[in-house]
Amino acid sequence: MYILSAIAVAFVAYAIYKHYKLWHIGKADDRSKNIAKRVWAFIITGLADGLGHRRFLKEPYPGIMHLLIFWGCLVLLLAAAVDATTHYLNIHLEGNIYLWFSFIVDISGILVLIGVFIAIYRRYVQKPDRLNTILDDGIILSLIAVVIITGYIIEGLRIAVTELEIHPEWAVWSPGGYVFAKAFAGLDENSSLILHRWLWWFHAILVDAAIIYVALSYSKLQHIIISPLNAFFRNTGPVGVPAPINIETAETLGVGEIKDFTWKQLLDLDACTNCGRCQDACPAYLSEKPLSPRKLTQDLKAQWLKTSQFKAGDSGGQPPLVGGAVTEDEFWACTTCAACQEACPVFLEHIVKILDLRRNVVMMQSKMPENVQLMLRNMQSRGHPWVGAQSLRLRGDWTTGLELKTLAENSNVDMLLWVGCTGALCDRNVEVTLSLVKVLKAAGIDFGILGEEEPCCGDPARRAGYEIQFQTTAEQNIAMLNGYNVKHILATCPHCYNSFKNEYPQFGGNFKVTHHTELISDLIKQGKLRITKELDLATTYHDPCYLGRYNKIYSAPRDILHAIPGLKLDEMNRSKSKSLCCGGGGIHMWFEQPIGKKINDIRTDDVLDTTAKTVTTSCPYCLQMLEEGILHKQMQEALKAKDVVELLEQVIEQPS
Amino acid sequence: MHIIVCVKQIPDPEVPPAKFKIDPATKKVVPPPGVPPVISVFDERACELACRLKEKHNAKITVITMGPGKVSDVVKHALAMGGDDGVILQDQAFENSDSFGTAYILSQAIKKIGSYDLILCGRQAADWDTGQVGSILAEILGIPAITIAKDIQPEGDKLRVFRVMEDGYEVVETPIPCLVTVSNEVGLPRLPSGMGIIQAARKQIPVWTAQDIQVDPAKIGPAGAHTEVINLFIPVRETTCEIITADTAAEAAIKLAEKLREIKVI
Amino acid sequence: MSDYQGILVCGEISEGQLAPITQELLGIGRKLANDLSQELSILLMGKNIGNLAQDAIAFGADKAYVADNPLLETYNSDVFTAVAARLCQKISPAIVLLGQTDTGRDLAPRLVGRLQGGLAMDCIELAIDPSTKLLTQTRPAFGGNANATVVTKTARPQIATIRSKAMAPAQLDESHKGQVIPAEDLIDAGAVKVKVLERVKEKTEGIKLEDAEFVVSGGRGVGSAQNFEALKELANLLGGAVGATRAACEDGWIPMTQQVGQTGKIVSPNLYIAIGLSGAMQHIAGCSGSKCIVAINKDAGANIFKVASFGIVGDYKEALPALTQKIKELLGK
Repeated sequence: MYILSAIAVAFVAYAIYKHYKLWHIGKADDRSKNIAKRVWAFIITGLADGLGHRRFLKEPYPGIMHLLIFWGCLVLLLAAAVDATTHYLNIHLEGNIYLWFSFIVDISGILVLIGVFIAIYRRYVQKPDRLNTILDDGIILSLIAVVIITGYIIEGLRIAVTELEIHPEWAVWSPGGYVFAKAFAGLDENSSLILHRWLWWFHAILVDAAIIYVALSYSKLQHIIISPLNAFFRNTGPVGVPAPINIETAETLGVGEIKDFTWKQLLDLDACTNCGRCQDACPAYLSEKPLSPRKLTQDLKAQWLKTSQFKAGDSGGQPPLVGGAVTEDEFWACTTCAACQEACPVFLEHIVKILDLRRNVVMMQSKMPENVQLMLRNMQSRGHPWVGAQSLRLRGDWTTGLELKTLAENSNVDMLLWVGCTGALCDRNVEVTLSLVKVLKAAGIDFGILGEEEPCCGDPARRAGYEIQFQTTAEQNIAMLNGYNVKHILATCPHCYNSFKNEYPQFGGNFKVTHHTELISDLIKQGKLRITKELDLATTYHDPCYLGRYNKIYSAPRDILHAIPGLKLDEMNRSKSKSLCCGGGGIHMWFEQPIGKKINDIRTDDVLDTTAKTVTTSCPYCLQMLEEGILHKQMQEALKAKDVVELLEQVIEQPS
Repeated sequence: MHIIVCVKQIPDPEVPPAKFKIDPATKKVVPPPGVPPVISVFDERACELACRLKEKHNAKITVITMGPGKVSDVVKHALAMGGDDGVILQDQAFENSDSFGTAYILSQAIKKIGSYDLILCGRQAADWDTGQVGSILAEILGIPAITIAKDIQPEGDKLRVFRVMEDGYEVVETPIPCLVTVSNEVGLPRLPSGMGIIQAARKQIPVWTAQDIQVDPAKIGPAGAHTEVINLFIPVRETTCEIITADTAAEAAIKLAEKLREIKVI
Repeated sequence: MSDYQGILVCGEISEGQLAPITQELLGIGRKLANDLSQELSILLMGKNIGNLAQDAIAFGADKAYVADNPLLETYNSDVFTAVAARLCQKISPAIVLLGQTDTGRDLAPRLVGRLQGGLAMDCIELAIDPSTKLLTQTRPAFGGNANATVVTKTARPQIATIRSKAMAPAQLDESHKGQVIPAEDLIDAGAVKVKVLERVKEKTEGIKLEDAEFVVSGGRGVGSAQNFEALKELANLLGGAVGATRAACEDGWIPMTQQVGQTGKIVSPNLYIAIGLSGAMQHIAGCSGSKCIVAINKDAGANIFKVASFGIVGDYKEALPALTQKIKELLGK
């Protein structure tokens, strides 16, 4: 057994070494900072997501299936370890301990088999859309099944000889083995012995063979080691934040070849088990766009694994990454909603890879959909993404008649109200800005604005992959804000909020950032906003991706809605962390792929499935997308879309 | 091939017409606060065309601008698109030059730059819309001027230039050196690449004054102007628009059709 | 400076006749000549155009200089510039008038560069200042947001190109007498450096924009090339043409030849229907001559409503089909 174990361990070690080399085709990425935090996060993840299967169990059916196999195998492995230890130390389990041990282990094996048969049924008979079945799947399920079943046969042979006649009351404590023992009851001891020996060796060698197969073939079962490793090294910071570019030293921008990814991103690809939960959650996939996060990851993985076959200077060369392994249509389809990352059980980070792919085509090749180009050019020359808006209104026009102080006039204020490009330049969203101003004034909040001086936060440039523009904008904005000694930013747009809070620190900008729903919810709790009217209305709330999944703000907007008397909140099925994207993120406010369905139409259907007469949200993009969806369905009379603050404005006591 | 591109920085043409203001005393446009100037629309197209030629036919691009203020922005933009070198012509003596003065100053700068194969300009500056500098510059330099082009294809030692016509286009063949003015039919100008921006930011752009390019003061500024603007005004447009209202846009459209029939327009 | 006398018009010929712009040039030319009490001359360049000289004289020219030569059959920048410049050097006109056309906007700047005069293009108004006797030229600038009035104080000649249909055409007067002067001696075949290789007409279905009585025009708000079909349907129904803003053309939704605006086509139909366009001034510069402008736009604050006579604030996707349907009924089609 030593030798067999040694062989198995050797192959595993070799495989890990090979993978390590392959990961380090990629660029450097220092994950050693804050190691204590990382270890602690891993312990929590190990307990909650590993042992507890938290992410898996969001969907009970496949979740339980995997739980059975996982826990069953874990127990079997521990049991094998106990067996080996007791054997070599010559200490044996006795009495009731032994019986319970047998029982638990036997049941575990049965659970694994049940799990495996469910898996086989689900994958090969039910064939859910997200499962992309390859030969490896069949091989490993068969291997597990055969290993377990031969294990029971072996046990059955042993029990037939050692327990069945002598201590039948013990035999039943190994129910699996017991069944086989009964079948072999008639066999003479010699034959049993021979069969037992052959099968034992077969079983042992099969296990080794399975381990060797898994080690050498990039089998899905490698996730047993690689996925926890990926979980350990995962991003412990905010969601979806790409790395800045070092302008001094950068030689390539973004990812044009597989080796342009960081080693951690390649580890990510390695850890993907092709489970498809991301695909099921992806709004682009649901609307029949060319993107499946699962397929993208697997295609990148295949490209990566192939690089080991190509040496530098190989005249044939590897087929290209973009245009070969993946297409531009795929990564432009992403709305960066983070549903994929939320669903992934092994903590893959799809978003930054997609942004990296965009960076290369945009910044190195100047290739992008035309409307994206128009938007980015407008950002460069006019400082905001809304092409054409400037012929209708200027940045500071929304302040007309409001008597608001700009920071230029008086920068000594509690907080800066940052209205955002959309909130200043787009008619419908200006209405929300004006509502918010009324509410803030009613609460007596001391705030200033930038007015015509307010620039763009830069978010659309970063999502489009035009990182240089984002960095320049961020640095300029930070200098300007620091010049006014701004400490606290109140943002109405979740994209601005996300940039200030999670991305500006990369450039030295550290501000306290609050979303308007957070502030208002607090004001209501503190009694600074008095609600004096009722609103008899059935509503539902649409969670914006950049507020919800990105920043975990789910309850503040709901608190506001709950505080309005008469308002009924009927949640959609896909709400909170499962909220379906409105379709506006990832620069999709500015360009549309004329393929498949529109994401906002699908989301509007979600709204129409509730009893709501008004859908509320707290993001300017979501508001526009929902209104467009309502218009498409010709439902403008029956269904309205509003920002949470607009409803609140109707019911608070206004200063006279 | 050495291409010289002339670019101009102008007040942003995209402002709400209601915010367009003129100072009657100086006869100049007063841009609304907070709206930065931009590169002239057609000049950007000229840069785009130059960059396309560089990509396909290995050219070197020199960008010149003349004007007051922070004009380095437009040169950097052009360099980031693909330009190689830039020159700024700035001097108080240049200000308030008309098309002749401007063309003369540019010609002196171009003489200083040295040899070139092609000069590209926008067909007109998107502020004053005069549309003469290119042709006058060509006349001063003694080279052919081809106006309102949308594409250029080198053919041996000549250029094929595609000119926009009212009902289509024509193709002309010109020897080099020559000057071509470029129209917006060239297409969408490229977004400056990331590396382009990084490299442009590192470049130092020389500033040449009147002395550096040895201009004759009698030919520049107001003294050298052939034409003079004696009035700049916002024309009064007297129409009141009748907005047709109804419950739906479709019903309003029906009413509109009836109205147009009523007043015998259709 | 006083040795510069007379008005010279550079006439254009189209399909063997004097082009409409030539009549407009002679119209304003005659008026200016009368105001200055000076002569009106015309330069005609082309092939087999001898008979047109009398037409020009009947439209008010006192002298018609005719350069009739195969080299001049179609416009060639180098040759035409050479002929016109030489004539100007010979007769020293105080004022030279051209049309703001394919020819004029190329020829005029080259001419002024060669002659060192003063030029203003795309003029919508020309007048002689009674006290200074200078030609005052009014033209749009800043994308049509403003009008500039320009004079050329001392440089000569004073050159202007006039916007199509901005000035009244000359009236025919068969009794008017004038001189026909051959000008072939001014032709310099050696002047040709730039050769015209081919001319390609881009087929647009239906009526030419500039001639159409009805124009249905779309901007960025139309949204796609496909959506322009709805505009085409209405244009066809009315027997008119489809126009577009520069943005819509640059997005590839409709050919550039349909661009209405300061650098596109100037149109003056009876009815101009503006769909999903905000009304940037450089676009309005192209359509402000329309008798009646109707606008459909989602944005109540769009600039187009400031020049429109009628407007609907709403989604054109709802309004346009209904409008087309109703007009169909009213026209009995």
